[in-house]
Amino acid sequence: MIELSTGILNSLTLALADPAGAPVATSQGPAWAMAIPGLAILGALICTLSAIFGVKTKLPAYLTVGCLGGAFATTVALLMHFDPAGGAMEVNAWEWFAITWGDGPGQSFTAPFGFYIDTLTIYWMLFVTGLATLIALYASEYMSHDVGTGYNRFFFAFNLFVFSMACLVMGGNLVMLYLGWEGVGLCSYLLIGYFYKKDSAVQAAKKAFIVNRIGDLGLALGLYLMFVHFGTIEYAELFSNEKLLGYVDAAMAGDFAQIPLEGQIIALLLMVGAFGKSAQFPLYVWLPDAMEGPTPVSALIHAATMVTAGVYLIARMFPVFLASEWALPVVAWIGTITALLAATIGMAQFDIKRIMAYSTVSQLGYMFAGLGVLTPNGAAYHVLTHAFFKALLFLCCGAVMHGFAGQLDLRKLSGVWKMKGWLIVSIGMLVGCLNLAGLPFTAGFFSKDTIIAEAFVTPGYQVIGVILLITALMTAYYTFRVFFRVFMGPVHAEPGDDHHGDDAHGDDDDDHAHAGDETGHNAFHPHAPGWAINTVLAILTIASIAATGLYFVGGEKDVTTYRGEHVKTKHYAMTMVQKSSAAFVTPYDHHAFDHANHSGGAAQHADAHGVPGDDEIETGNPQVMINGVLVEAEGQSSHYVLVDGKLLAAPGAGTGPRGSISEPLSVLGTGLDPHKAMYYISGVIAMVGIGLAWFFHLAGRTTAAECRMDAVASKLGPLPRWAENKWYVDEFYNAMLRVPLIVIGHLSFWFDKLIVDGLVNAFGTAPRFIAGMIRPSQSGYLHGYAAGMLAGVAALLLVVLAILASAGGAS
Amino acid sequence: MATIIHPLALYLACALGAIGVALALPRPRISPAIFGGILAAAGAGLVVVLLGFAGGVEQLPNWAFYVFSAMALGGGLRMITHPRPVYSALYFILTIIASAGLLLILSAEFMAFALIIIYAGAILITYLFVIMLATQAPEEGDLEHLADYDTKGREPWAMSAAGFVLLGILTTMLFRGAGELPVPEPVDDTPVLAQLPLKVERELRIERVPAGGGEPFVLLGEDERLQREIAPDGDVLGRLAHEGRTFFTEDGRAIELPDDMRANNVEQVGINLLRDHPMTIEIAGVLLLMAMLGATVLARKQVELEESLKARQAKRLHDARTEREGLD
Amino acid sequence: MLSDVLSGVTLAQTGFPDLMGGVTLAHYLFVSAAMFVLGLVGFVTRRNLIIMFLCTELMFQAAGIALVAFGRYHLDLDGQTFVIFVLTVAAAEAAMALALTVLLFRRRESLSADEWRELSG
Repeated sequence: MIELSTGILNSLTLALADPAGAPVATSQGPAWAMAIPGLAILGALICTLSAIFGVKTKLPAYLTVGCLGGAFATTVALLMHFDPAGGAMEVNAWEWFAITWGDGPGQSFTAPFGFYIDTLTIYWMLFVTGLATLIALYASEYMSHDVGTGYNRFFFAFNLFVFSMACLVMGGNLVMLYLGWEGVGLCSYLLIGYFYKKDSAVQAAKKAFIVNRIGDLGLALGLYLMFVHFGTIEYAELFSNEKLLGYVDAAMAGDFAQIPLEGQIIALLLMVGAFGKSAQFPLYVWLPDAMEGPTPVSALIHAATMVTAGVYLIARMFPVFLASEWALPVVAWIGTITALLAATIGMAQFDIKRIMAYSTVSQLGYMFAGLGVLTPNGAAYHVLTHAFFKALLFLCCGAVMHGFAGQLDLRKLSGVWKMKGWLIVSIGMLVGCLNLAGLPFTAGFFSKDTIIAEAFVTPGYQVIGVILLITALMTAYYTFRVFFRVFMGPVHAEPGDDHHGDDAHGDDDDDHAHAGDETGHNAFHPHAPGWAINTVLAILTIASIAATGLYFVGGEKDVTTYRGEHVKTKHYAMTMVQKSSAAFVTPYDHHAFDHANHSGGAAQHADAHGVPGDDEIETGNPQVMINGVLVEAEGQSSHYVLVDGKLLAAPGAGTGPRGSISEPLSVLGTGLDPHKAMYYISGVIAMVGIGLAWFFHLAGRTTAAECRMDAVASKLGPLPRWAENKWYVDEFYNAMLRVPLIVIGHLSFWFDKLIVDGLVNAFGTAPRFIAGMIRPSQSGYLHGYAAGMLAGVAALLLVVLAILASAGGAS
Repeated sequence: MATIIHPLALYLACALGAIGVALALPRPRISPAIFGGILAAAGAGLVVVLLGFAGGVEQLPNWAFYVFSAMALGGGLRMITHPRPVYSALYFILTIIASAGLLLILSAEFMAFALIIIYAGAILITYLFVIMLATQAPEEGDLEHLADYDTKGREPWAMSAAGFVLLGILTTMLFRGAGELPVPEPVDDTPVLAQLPLKVERELRIERVPAGGGEPFVLLGEDERLQREIAPDGDVLGRLAHEGRTFFTEDGRAIELPDDMRANNVEQVGINLLRDHPMTIEIAGVLLLMAMLGATVLARKQVELEESLKARQAKRLHDARTEREGLD
Repeated sequence: MLSDVLSGVTLAQTGFPDLMGGVTLAHYLFVSAAMFVLGLVGFVTRRNLIIMFLCTELMFQAAGIALVAFGRYHLDLDGQTFVIFVLTVAAAEAAMALALTVLLFRRRESLSADEWRELSG
């Protein structure tokens, strides 16, 4: 199996690296690469025309599937075409921004509407287009009740999303990325608010949009600052920017003082953008609410693709993040906190779609933690595996929801496995849950392990590793809580109140709900999914299982990294990432410490990982890998070690901040090799979690609503209730942000009304008041005016007389 | 001022005048116009007589002035107090004629007659036309009917008091100034005569033939005297050359004007008007033209009557007809 | 006597008998002021538009007499010339005022000045 898939994937992955070892330059890419976004926007146009001509068939869905399938095929062709020796490729469609105001550096702003294609791009686009195609097919059936009403609108936004995502991932500069970033945000807004007559959907759409604005502001500011500081926002120029390379070198030497503050803040600002889009801790609140959208949307946008844009941004901008003293530690910690928090909330929810949403937030936290502990490989791998199994999980949930009239409460569904026609859904759910729980030898197991192990071996981050392990236990528990409650146990089903389709625009379940009402609840018959859903679920199930293989194939390549170093890679994701800008650090090799202890000689294999393909670094200079960071050892006297995200010089061999650097890295000082140990530990933890779920939610359960957990929960005091209410984070935000804003708004309103307007009105009132006193004198009678003149003349003459009299008296 | 008239006497007279005018102003019922008139006349007469005493008793009072001023003020009083507009206008004519008399005493003959011609002849006739036009014809058998706004003055007491206070102040000032005015310098009218060569030559010939031996002469013009030194020939044009009241003939003789030979008022006004203020005549012409055009445009304007007014007019016509038929 | 009046110009310098016979400038100014005040009182108290205009004419008249009297005293003819313009203005004013009066009368069938008070505040 491994050899077979290796053979297949060898043709897809990169060819052998060039031996020269020089930094690779960008080359001109094939123009047909533009077909990827082009086909998506073509699909959007077709859907627009369908809407204009009032097509009332499933035509737009099938055309969308065709277009997106074409985009996927193009991506695969691009992968085949990609010349690893040639480095990144650029495809420029047209000059978009070209502003010049001087000859000096940084005095021109160019941002072509163009694409930057390297392995990271292709890697991301492969699963984006592939999943989009599958989910479009799924949606063609799922959305069938909207044919003729919202069908065209749905698929228009769907296509536009894929186009935007293509711009985001493939864009050759940060302006393109920003275009895509806002585009996916817009499509997300449109699709969450798809049932625009439903208040909760509208509120959720607004929430998602507004929370994302906060992140987008950070991204925009980071973009500006990047241009101001580096003078370019084009990837090709940026990654060969001497300033940036100097910063990275300084960062690797632990000398962050050399890097100006401005250069370090860029990463923090970009990070805020990533947090917003990828639903990290302070800004995660929009994602669970985004489940108001149709389930295919949740699967594609809010689980598999869009939310990984933040991971992509950090991976793409990894050199910039390396150059910041604080960015990566913050990313790591925020990711960890998010993972834990979302898992605790997920354990207490009853809505299966929301559980999946919180698990998405949690898994995104894993990815960020992976980035933060300097393993973009692990993060990217987890993105890929998660995309498959989370899309699968969501689609299964959608199928359940579709079939049970919008029923999502796990207390009201049970034993779906035993119902007729639900086998494929159940198997798909099982596979997805196993992946998410991280059962050994599933894709999720390997990808999660990569991150956790890396956390353990990074000095100062062991706490993160522990937290992530605890989170893994929770993940396994709440995942199988869903599975055991909904798919196993006694057969029971109550139709939902169709809360995803309250009106004529309801996505699917309206008819079923009414049917149920007419015939009584006992006569409710769930309808099993049709061919399209089943096909998609089957494909995704297989893909989720097959993703495991990616851990075993595609490795052991001698890959030239972006910086021109040669590394041997372990697995497919690593191979893909290692070629890209995310590979400013070379892959983990904890045994590099052994190298460090030697006299900087040739790389030495320390084959202790137990996994095929130890990485190996062979460059001209003696180099060591410490905690995944490539360090050039100058002679033997200096070593570096990563502590709290900083590379610190460890003067003198064998000593370092952690004490003796000669100790091999191990898990919490136990002497175990981290990866090897992690296989056992996380495997045990996953099974413990599943076992707990079995004990509390399946064993001895006779009804859908009651289980052993209820008794436990009642003893835990208010904790389950607090967790179910999401730790009151939304309420906290309301109180801390929304209420003060409303209060300030009202205060401003009254200030404006009373003080500002009052002042203006006072200026108007005073003349009016004085005029009111004078006005009666203007009687309109001619005589009045004449009498006034008479009196005036008399007064004047009197004055003159008085003056004359006084003058006469004086003289 | 005390040299002219005693202030208390002046103010007393003003008060009398005020009471008189207030009494004389039209009232709806009984109008003590006669008493008022007498009172007002007494006030005015008091001032005038006292002024006459101030001028010196040895000088006989100029009866013409007193007659004319009495006519003018009396006419004015009656004009403002008469309830019938037509009579008011007629009294105003009387006032104008009296004013013309006053101007005659002031040796302003041209102005006096111009006043009568323009005011009494033209303007007042226009007024009369408009009064006839704009006053409703009295109903048959009700000749005494007057419009309400004609029979009722507005605040006669207060306004009279105010007006006569103003008169007191005004006269105080005027008398004060008039008493202090310097005695005017004698003015030579020879320059005016020098502008009238034909008149001077004709008069001189008439006067001088018996006196100067009947020799013909031609007076020397100012230009010619200048030209004589430059160019000997020239016509008699423009101003005559003179030194004081001595004029020169072409053959070099000097002729002294007789004392009784003077430029009369019309000549003087004409010269003043045409020589000193030619532009103002043009402006006055434009003003009159504009007034004529404006009056034409305004008077031709069609009036859109309001509905209520139309109804009122129709009702009045109807009432009049039924009344007439009823009478028949 | 009238011929004397007609031919008389400057009295003091010529030795002609003073026809004014004790009438001083103050006499004329008093008459003028009294006429003016009569016109003013009439203007303020009477309601008939036409009579109000007549009163203004009376005030013009008074001013004219004062002007001529001053001119006489100062032996200056500009006073009389000025009266000519006062007459001109009076004529123009009469033409316009009467045209307006006719217009107003057509509208309201009344000559009362109180009918027109659109300018009241």
